[in-house]
Amino acid sequence: MKCFHPRGARRIAAAAATAAMLFGVAAAQPTPGAAAGWSLADAAAPYKGTTINVVILDRPSYVAEKALIPQFEKTTGITVKTTTYPYESALKAETLNFVSNSNQYDGILADLIWTGTFANSKWVVPLSTFTSNPKLADPALDLKDFFPVWLDAFKWDNVQYGLPFDSYSGLLYYNKCLLKKAGFSSPPTTWAELRDKYGPKLTNKSAGTYAYALQSLRGETQTADSFSRFLWDFGGSWYDPKTYAPQLASPGAVKGMEFRASLAPIMPPGIVSDDHAQVVQLMAQGKVAMITEWSSFYTTLNDPATSKVRDCLAVAKEPAGPAAADPAFGGFAYMVSSQSPQAKQDATYLFIQWLASKAVAPQLINKGAVVARKGADTDPALMKKYPYLAPMVAQWAHSNYDWRPRIPQYPQMSEVVANYGSQIQQGSLGIKPGLDKINDEIKGILTSGGYIK
Amino acid sequence: MLAEQQRAQPALSLPVSKRERRQRLTPWLFLFPGIGVLLAVGIYPVIYALWASVHKVDLVNLAAGTPFDGAQNYFSAFLNSLFTGAVARSLLFLAISLPLELALGMLIALYLHGTVLPRVRSVVRVVLVIPMAMTPVVVGLIGSLVFNNQFGLVNYLIGFGHMQSVDWLGNSQLAYLTTLALQVWQWTPFVTLILVASLATVPPEIEEALRLETKSWLKRLRYVQLPFLLPGITAALIFQTAYIVKLFDMVYTLTGGGPGVSTELVSIYIERNAFRAFDIGTAAAQSVILLVITIVLSNLYIRFFYVEAEA
Amino acid sequence: MKARTLAPILTVVVGALLVVVALGPVYWMMAASLKTDNQIFAIPPVWLFHPTFEHYRHVLADLGMASALAHSAFVGIATTALAIVLGVPAGYAIARFRFRGRRDVWFWFISNYMMIPVILVIPYFLIARNLHLINSPLMLILAYQTFAVPLVVWLTADQFGAIPKALDEAAKIDGAGELGIFFRIMVPLAVPGIAVAAILSLIFSWNELLYAMILTPSDETRTAPVTALSFLGGYSIPWGDLMAAGSLIVLPVIVFAVLVSRYLVRGLTLGAVK
Repeated sequence: MKCFHPRGARRIAAAAATAAMLFGVAAAQPTPGAAAGWSLADAAAPYKGTTINVVILDRPSYVAEKALIPQFEKTTGITVKTTTYPYESALKAETLNFVSNSNQYDGILADLIWTGTFANSKWVVPLSTFTSNPKLADPALDLKDFFPVWLDAFKWDNVQYGLPFDSYSGLLYYNKCLLKKAGFSSPPTTWAELRDKYGPKLTNKSAGTYAYALQSLRGETQTADSFSRFLWDFGGSWYDPKTYAPQLASPGAVKGMEFRASLAPIMPPGIVSDDHAQVVQLMAQGKVAMITEWSSFYTTLNDPATSKVRDCLAVAKEPAGPAAADPAFGGFAYMVSSQSPQAKQDATYLFIQWLASKAVAPQLINKGAVVARKGADTDPALMKKYPYLAPMVAQWAHSNYDWRPRIPQYPQMSEVVANYGSQIQQGSLGIKPGLDKINDEIKGILTSGGYIK
Repeated sequence: MLAEQQRAQPALSLPVSKRERRQRLTPWLFLFPGIGVLLAVGIYPVIYALWASVHKVDLVNLAAGTPFDGAQNYFSAFLNSLFTGAVARSLLFLAISLPLELALGMLIALYLHGTVLPRVRSVVRVVLVIPMAMTPVVVGLIGSLVFNNQFGLVNYLIGFGHMQSVDWLGNSQLAYLTTLALQVWQWTPFVTLILVASLATVPPEIEEALRLETKSWLKRLRYVQLPFLLPGITAALIFQTAYIVKLFDMVYTLTGGGPGVSTELVSIYIERNAFRAFDIGTAAAQSVILLVITIVLSNLYIRFFYVEAEA
Repeated sequence: MKARTLAPILTVVVGALLVVVALGPVYWMMAASLKTDNQIFAIPPVWLFHPTFEHYRHVLADLGMASALAHSAFVGIATTALAIVLGVPAGYAIARFRFRGRRDVWFWFISNYMMIPVILVIPYFLIARNLHLINSPLMLILAYQTFAVPLVVWLTADQFGAIPKALDEAAKIDGAGELGIFFRIMVPLAVPGIAVAAILSLIFSWNELLYAMILTPSDETRTAPVTALSFLGGYSIPWGDLMAAGSLIVLPVIVFAVLVSRYLVRGLTLGAVK
């Protein structure tokens, strides 16, 4: 029959595809449709009673994750234990765990900048191991629904290692009430505007209020949030993507750091010792009019329990620099530890796949997490409810996943930048001499890593 | 001594040579367990560190192997301004805290050595033991509580009831001073108690004689007590030097080395280099350099002990 | 006349000042551990308040402090027991025998005490990794011997040295062997010194952070100081919980320290002052 009516057959196939899509979406429910004969409960049946251990951070997305875990446990009979680390010790904890073969964690939380480190040491399992196994792979996973930049961020040598979770873009959070009082109806769109136009009018030192705060604590915060933010927008970069020659003392980098230094008069003192928590707190207490922070902090700033400025909170794209508008790019993925026994690896994959699924994404967003799913992030109802989504999605369209290098040497490079970067910011080291030092040391690291011949 | 003991004993049935050999062996049998374990846990790691210091050991890139690296790690340690800066910061820390501890310790020791109301003094003496026994991690926690910028007790007290906004832990110089202050708070009692013990070694008749001769306690201190105090002062000096080179826990808790690098002492820096940048080779080389410094210091310490042991 | 009335007053005033400075911060921590978070942040500070034990309940029951304290106690006791077994015979040999290299051995023991932990911790980590001893208290107990054994050797050598020579000579005449003399005569007489050494070794291993942080990092094997530090680094600092944890850690130390206050200095300097 089909052979004789090709057009009708196509229609039937299309209908079937639609049905499958609908069922795929319906997989939100614990009993998903059997469109492709796959259900989470069936897939998990062999792993019932397994306990897996997953690393989480003390940030809003993980509060949402923890709230949804019982759902997964109920469907699968797999127990998910979580171990919380502060961000600054997570890499150390996971690395020591891997290096010592102590096998404490099955679900590895990887910042995108750790992708090279983890993949290169073969500490994590390529995702294809699981996606090629029809018993484990959810046909509704739909990788195309992830923002491409986010899949690329967790690829190493063209192999996919993780599914994105807790995905950020750097955003400008501003207090529209304070801006209005100072006569501004919209936020700054360039760094120069922020400093020259908005800065003076929004800073009142005697009242202890400031226009802007930049989290700069030595550590990844200094490297990413403070240093890199002013590197790219002013024409600098980490290194030449072809020759790996570092560009950290280039004229653009110098301009960026000069600009960063010139922000001091409109920022609260002691910024060099402030991490995300302190800066978000300053904003939440109404002491600072603008911050540039990760999208995940919308939840904290929008929570009446932690924020006094909820009604004044507004979000926009990060200001642009004279050379580029290259917003901060950062976030995490879950990966499967290669040191875990096979059964735990499989169970962990099921958990990761479920957590990153299309169906769970809206639930996560509603509980305060940030996800990299196109469908959920561009859902009109959610976009209306969560104003951070629009600028975040817009920025991801042109974000650079190598905004910070993802090579295995990154932890060392980040330490170098954090060290000298905070000294430059404190003024104990000049900008050019400081950047020269950074450039020299990064060059040494890249040379001994075999990137520079 | 040995010979005397032997002579004192009546001849036993054992032939002399055998007995002598056994006699010579006996102390080593007692010493063996302790020496064996300390060798294993003390010397072996040092050899391991020496090995790592001349190899490239990148903990997050062990797949690349650990090739021999010659003196490269040592060169980069000496050329690294973060390391030399941390060493300098530790030495400055020592140069400021030690005289302070000695001066304050001396004053308190003289107070404790006095004769009026001995009971009050002995209570104070016991109380002074508490800071120095405190877990350094907890000292750091207390520091971050009382020196807190927004609600710290210190800011309240210096404002005489009006909250002052001094950012003790956010400003480079102030954070360094705060760290120093906690160090002095914890260890002045130690210097004090050493000096009190030293003062007690002054023969009472000499002290009494001088008390009749001059009323000035400064003169008494200088001409009579000081010679008796010198060994204690030297001990305090050497002990604190080693302690400050080791100083990690309290600073790690209080500031983590920050803001920036302003309180990054040498132990903090090496730990960071080893377990954040995972550059084990360079960290080992830096450790070895530190070890050389420690050996020099220990020798001073030990040479001093020689004098004491003979006395 | 005037001086005679002034002296006691001055003594009391200076004494009170010293006590306040020495204990004030400790008191402030303990007070904070009994306050609600709002009372901790209050300006002006709250001096009188209804104590709440909520922070203690929370850190002990929910944040793993109870098991962490148990780990610390276990590691401390095991470290001390091993150090006594290893150190007391060594201290005895050094004090009671005259042999070639005696003084060198003694100095060598003491010099171990000067070793800087950060030098040893990297090799310890790599060794523990090769032996699969990460997160095992055994590695920690061995690492702690670097300071515990020297402490025991010095303090017990001192104690054994003070026992009159005539005693063991008499025992020898009675036909006692070396081991018999050691166990039946010498050790019982040295018990006070051994006890002090044991308490000091307990305090030192209880207080240690660096080795514990690197060698026993997992949630299940953390010691108390490492656990207290793990409360830091979230989005807000749980001051009340931190102070409760801090108080729990230092309370036993304070009790022990006061008990051996007379010997503490000696333990710390390894007897620079006799």
